[in-house]
Order: sequence, then C-alpha cells, then structure tokens
Amino acid sequence: MITALELGLIYAIVALGVYLTFRILNFPDLTVDGSFTSGAATAAILIINGVNPFLASGAAFVVGTLAGLITGLLHTKGNINGLLAGILTMIGLYSINLRIMGGANIPLLGEETTISLLRQIAGSGWTSVLVLVAVALVFKVLIDWFLHTDAGLALQATGDNEQMIRSFAVSTDRMKIIGLMLSNGLVGLAGAVVAQHQGFADIGMGIGLILVGLASVIVGQAIFGTRLVIQATMAVVLGAVIYRLAIQFALNAGLNPNDMKLMSALLVIAALLLPQWNGFRKFAARRKKGRSALQAAAEATLTKDANLNGKKVS
Amino acid sequence: MLNVTDVYKTFFPGTVNERKALVNVNLTLAPGDFVTVIGSNGAGKSTVLNTVAGRISQDEGVVSLDGRDVSKLKEHQRAAQVGRVFQDPMAGTSPNLTIEENLSLADKRGQARGLGFGVTRAKRERFAEALTVLELGLESRLKTKVGLLSGGQRQALSLLMATFSQPKILLLDEHTAALDPQRAELVTRLTRKVVEEQGLTTLMVTHNMAQALEVGNRLIMMHEGRIILDVSEEEKSKLAPGDLLAEFAKIKGAALDDKTMLQ
Repeated sequence: MITALELGLIYAIVALGVYLTFRILNFPDLTVDGSFTSGAATAAILIINGVNPFLASGAAFVVGTLAGLITGLLHTKGNINGLLAGILTMIGLYSINLRIMGGANIPLLGEETTISLLRQIAGSGWTSVLVLVAVALVFKVLIDWFLHTDAGLALQATGDNEQMIRSFAVSTDRMKIIGLMLSNGLVGLAGAVVAQHQGFADIGMGIGLILVGLASVIVGQAIFGTRLVIQATMAVVLGAVIYRLAIQFALNAGLNPNDMKLMSALLVIAALLLPQWNGFRKFAARRKKGRSALQAAAEATLTKDANLNGKKVS
Repeated sequence: MLNVTDVYKTFFPGTVNERKALVNVNLTLAPGDFVTVIGSNGAGKSTVLNTVAGRISQDEGVVSLDGRDVSKLKEHQRAAQVGRVFQDPMAGTSPNLTIEENLSLADKRGQARGLGFGVTRAKRERFAEALTVLELGLESRLKTKVGLLSGGQRQALSLLMATFSQPKILLLDEHTAALDPQRAELVTRLTRKVVEEQGLTTLMVTHNMAQALEVGNRLIMMHEGRIILDVSEEEKSKLAPGDLLAEFAKIKGAALDDKTMLQ
C-alpha cells in the first residue's frame, strides 16, 4: 500500500508532464516512452559514478528536455505528424539509452540515491509518503504558476486555438517545442526517481509509459473535473495515485503481472469510450443538475449559438 | 502605411486546379485609411488579406508595412503590427481561457512573454474598463471562459482584442458575416468607433455592399485576382449598391446578377 502510494506520487510527475502535452498542447506525445528511460539511465550512470543523486536527477530532467526538443523540431520544423515524430524519437532513444547505460540494466543497490536519503530521514512509513506528497504538490504548484504566466497562457492558447494566438504574434512552433521540452523533462526526472526507488534502471522500464500517463490524466480528470487549471492538475496528480493503487489492488487480487499492460490499455479505452455511451451521459447529466443554473443557461446558449453559426457558415 | 506592390499569387500552379488568386495587385493605404474590399467568391479578397498577414506567401511582389519590407517575415512576426478579426467567431479567441486571460494575451502583442503573471489586479482593472466599451456587460464576467460566450459576444471581444495593443494595420475578414443582423450591426458600429478613435489603417473584406459603402473612406472591388475598381470617399458617398453592380457589369462587359455578388 505504502509502496503503491509512493510510486503513484512519483508517477504523478509523469502525469503532469503528459497533461502538458496531451491536454494543454493537444499533442499525444509518445516520446515519453523513451525519455522516461533516458532520465533513468542518465541518473543511474551518474549515480554509480559518484555524482550527487540530486544533481544526477537534475541531469535526467535536462536529458528529457533534449528528447522533447528533438520531437518538437521534427514536428514543427520538419512538418512530421506529431504522433510519428514522437515514435521516431522514442525508437531512436532506445539505442541511445543502451549507449548511456552501456548495457540493458544498471543496479543501484548500495548507492546513495535520493530515495536512500529519504529512507534515512523519514524511514519507509507514512512520513516518507508525506514527503513525496509535498514533492508532487511542489511540481503541481509550479505547473499551475507557469500556466498562468504570460508564457504559460500563450502555451495554453497554442493548444486551444493556434490561428488566434499566431495572430497575436506568438510563434506556435516555439510554444510547442517549449511544451514538449518541459513535459519530457518532467518525465525524464520521474524516470530518474523511479529508478532510484526500485533500485535499478532498465532499458524496458519506459515501455507503455504513455498509457500510464494517459490513464492518470483521463481517469483523474473524469473523476475530479477540469474546469480550472489548478483543479485539472490536482486531478492529474490524484489520477496517478489512483491508477497505481488500482494496479496494486489488481495484483493483490491475484492478477498476473504480465497482464498489467493489457489492463492499462483496457482502462484507458474504457475511460475514453464510457463518456460517449448514452447511459453514462444521462448519469453525468443528472450529476450536473446540482450545478448553478447560470452556468447551465450559459452552456445552453453556447450550443444554440454553435448550431446557428454552423448553419450560417455552411 | 501599407504598400502592396506587384503581387502575384497562383494556387496549385501547373495542375488542372491552377487558380490565379492574385494578378498584379497594387494597393497603397495611407495612415488612417479605412478601405472596404468587395468582390464575388474567389475574387481574391481574402487572399489579399492573408498575403498582408503573412499567412500566404506571395509568388512575386513586395508587401511593406510602415515603409519596411515584411515580405520575408512569418505570420507571427508580422502579427506584432497587424491585428486581425476572422469571419468565424470561434477563430479569434481562445475558448478554454477566460475573458481576462484572452485580453492578457492580446495585451502582450509584440512584447516578450515572460514569467510574470498574465493577469494582475492592475491589468484586470484595465481590462474591465476596456470591456465596458462593448456594452455587453462582459466587464463583470472577467473569469468566464470565452467558450461560454455567444458568437456575437465573442466577435465583439475578438475586435477589442485585435485592436487592444494598437496595431499599425487592422485586417477584418468578413467579420460580421456569420452574425445575425442585430449583432452584425453592433460589431460594425464598434468597428467604426475603434477605427476612428485609434486612427487605425484598416482593410475590411465584406460581402455586404451596403456595409461596404456605409463604412470606410475608400472602396475597392476585386474580380479574378485583380483590383478592378477603386472608389474614393467622395465618389463613394454618391453610390448605391445598384451602382456598384452596374459598375461591375460595365467593367467586365458582362451582365451580372445580385446573387453572384452577394454570395
């Protein structure tokens, strides 16, 4: 339970990164499968060579941003489809990660890591969970703050309405690259911490990570809502924890660990399909009834206007 | 202020779909000029606007703003000096951001966007005051997401945003065409007001000939990528929509019904 909570809080950083690309930039970025491992590999190789673990984790962030930069350049300057650009970087990173690690696996047992330091200070009980809660919240607040700065608003608008923000003198190419760099930096950092938590870095640890990120974002936001940015990021963090607890629960119930990836995929599919299903919509509408009449009225006018405009434009 | 010199643009050159969108277009706007552009579908009106904005790059010719050649600049680089309002009311604002956040984006046109807060108390007051001009009560709904506004409200907000940081050129691409008559009237009135107050150099495309004659101090008519008529303020005041049709028929030497023009 405690391990699941800890992992969930670390994966919350992945989820925040995926939130930046998938929700804010509206860009499903598959680079994370590679950059997660790159972060883990970088931190691991630095740690076993005696570098301070915090510095090593910082280096993992930087390596992650570089991976994001490559995907961003391929997509914006190279006009390569976003999905394909991410896949290309991800595949390329596989070889690079092997080069960084010099093999398929680096054990970190007995090394001084951020997690071993955490254990020294806080033990392995609820105190360490609280420390990780604080860490996850720091990243959440940092993202909240960034998204409300002038640069962050331009990033949000880039995902929302590209034509509009370009007409206000913002380079959407640059904003996408910044978003991808930030996102993959966070993912790389999370990879570094996960490696230190599990005691090794492994070439396969990033496989399917995008699903973990998406599941956290989609499940969290379906439960906790997305009306405000601060609400959405909180939902993402909680989503990551819930996802990890669900996995733990499934494993305890006797599910084969090899089936976990299939379970993740089914979970994301369910989260994407359920809202389209009529019965679910009725349920959601009933839940919405409690909301203020003003907002409901505003939404009604919106749909009406959208219909009108649709007719006139066509 | 704006000089378009010998501009040519052909879409899909060398194919069966080849279309000459602009043919030797020359257009000069003095500071403060408010020019309305009319013409049938495919006449090249929007292409002229998009060429000025940098969304389309011309095959030949030069576009210069305020004496500076901007032909090589990208759309977002030119946008530092060019404000735009689009036909689609959904196009000019960011639906998932609030009214105040949208205004903050508009406020920063042409400036570096750093890590300061996008909306501060001082800015909020300034935004609220600017919104009162629209007379839509939006100043009391600063934290409402723009996606919840009606098309007319959005278009009025788009206009305010496009002119908020006083661009050198304002480009209006049939910005009242998708609105109901009442809202269209409101947006037209706001357009005249803001252009007059700020002395903006404006290029406005419209399908509505009455509107084209009513607003602005100059009118040009386009056909098949060429400017075929350029009417000064003085002549314009004497014209009626029917005269424009007759003028068009005379120039093209062909009869033309209202429907083609008004499409």
